[in-house]
Amino acid sequence: MKNKLTYKLLLAFCLVANSSVKAQNLLDKLDKEYAKITLYEIATFKTTKIGLSHSIETRKKGAIQISLYNRYWDIPNFQSNRFLADEVNTRYGLEYSFSDNFTFGFGYSNFDKISDGYAKYRILKQSKGLKSNYLSITLLQGVSQRKTRNANANLYGVNTSSNSYAFTSQILIARKFSPELSLQIMPSFIHRASSPTNNDPNNHFAIGFGGRQKISNHTSIVSEYYYVANPIKSISTFNAFMLGINWEVSDLMLQFHLTNARNFAEDTFITQTTNNFNFKDPNLHFGFNATFIIHTKKKKLK
Amino acid sequence: MNKILPLFLLLTFLTNKETNKNQFIARQGQVSFFSYASVENIEAQNNQVLSILDIKNKKIAVSMLMRAFVFKKDLMYEHFNESYIESDIYPKATFEGDILDFDTSLSNQTKIIRGTLTIHGKSKNIDIKTKIEKKAKTFILSGEYNVLVKDFDIKIPPILTSNIAKIINIKFRFQYQPYEE
Repeated sequence: MKNKLTYKLLLAFCLVANSSVKAQNLLDKLDKEYAKITLYEIATFKTTKIGLSHSIETRKKGAIQISLYNRYWDIPNFQSNRFLADEVNTRYGLEYSFSDNFTFGFGYSNFDKISDGYAKYRILKQSKGLKSNYLSITLLQGVSQRKTRNANANLYGVNTSSNSYAFTSQILIARKFSPELSLQIMPSFIHRASSPTNNDPNNHFAIGFGGRQKISNHTSIVSEYYYVANPIKSISTFNAFMLGINWEVSDLMLQFHLTNARNFAEDTFITQTTNNFNFKDPNLHFGFNATFIIHTKKKKLK
Repeated sequence: MNKILPLFLLLTFLTNKETNKNQFIARQGQVSFFSYASVENIEAQNNQVLSILDIKNKKIAVSMLMRAFVFKKDLMYEHFNESYIESDIYPKATFEGDILDFDTSLSNQTKIIRGTLTIHGKSKNIDIKTKIEKKAKTFILSGEYNVLVKDFDIKIPPILTSNIAKIINIKFRFQYQPYEE
């Protein structure tokens, strides 16, 4: 009786073993040979800026990024023959990546005469496989300095060297949900100088929402919105909004957008956008960003 | 009969195990590709290509991860995976084929491998001329092959046609060792 059972078991084992060995084709065998690795998500966004503000992306070590950001808008009932648009604000920017995770950049915008600099550090990268992370997190610290003193006396008060500075701290949190869709939220803290004669807060809390949806391999639709929890009281301000298209052309990244934000420095456009988003002059701003990437360090192939 | 049947099955099972002696594996196979274009040359290399060689059935299979290709410029790596090969959707490229007139006794031979190449989710039947060397009971396979970008449904925008060659040259070299499961 016992012998019969072992006999049957042996028979079953031999049948299974035979079939399993035979059924395995060569490619299936190779699939089992792959070592387990951690695969980090690449290109959650293709550019280091979504449109208005920074994305979680930084360039790899040794990359230099030259950027030219423009905003064009019209002045209502303005008798002029100016080329393209009545007014333009241009930011000239330069960035260098010291490591794959750390980037430093600075720039100057000519309309509002603001110089700005920032440091960006990636602390967490979305990944799958051996080590899996659900999100990517990047820290951003920015500083800006206004050259134009008393552009708005109500807002800043008496000229001093210290009240021309503003500081922005952001935590950029993003996830690439699918090859096409990436979303980002940006809790922000802004400290800026304020006039002692008004009730404007010195510290602002804001949260930004951004996203991209790829419409082809090279182009995507992007949008951003900033909500300010405690806005400036002495002048009426609006939340910044942007809708645009990002286009990747080899080493060149082009961004086209419609927005109500006129300035480029984070603290300024988040807290001091004085017009709402609509298609009337001078509220509609057309934005055009061009970014060119140069690699100073190249990998050697064996 | 009751005693012979399991013995027979056990024997066939053992002989099946035996076939693994006819199989060889390469875990660090090298595949590189070149695109010669007027704007810039693009070169990439993958040193972690897997391949298995079955000398009894004269069959070969190759499998590689697209994300394992290394480029000179980081931006090339990102664009290759994101904009062209779409490695999120098609993470692997594979080849499976038969070595025609393979003679395991020769130490040096050049043979045609006929099989199916799958890149970017598209398969194509191809013939590859391959040099087969036999050294100390293992094999080294090497050769090169030209693929047309359009055969694999990889879209290049008209503005970038001068950046990427229409024909991509692929070089490969696999050094095999006996396969153990």
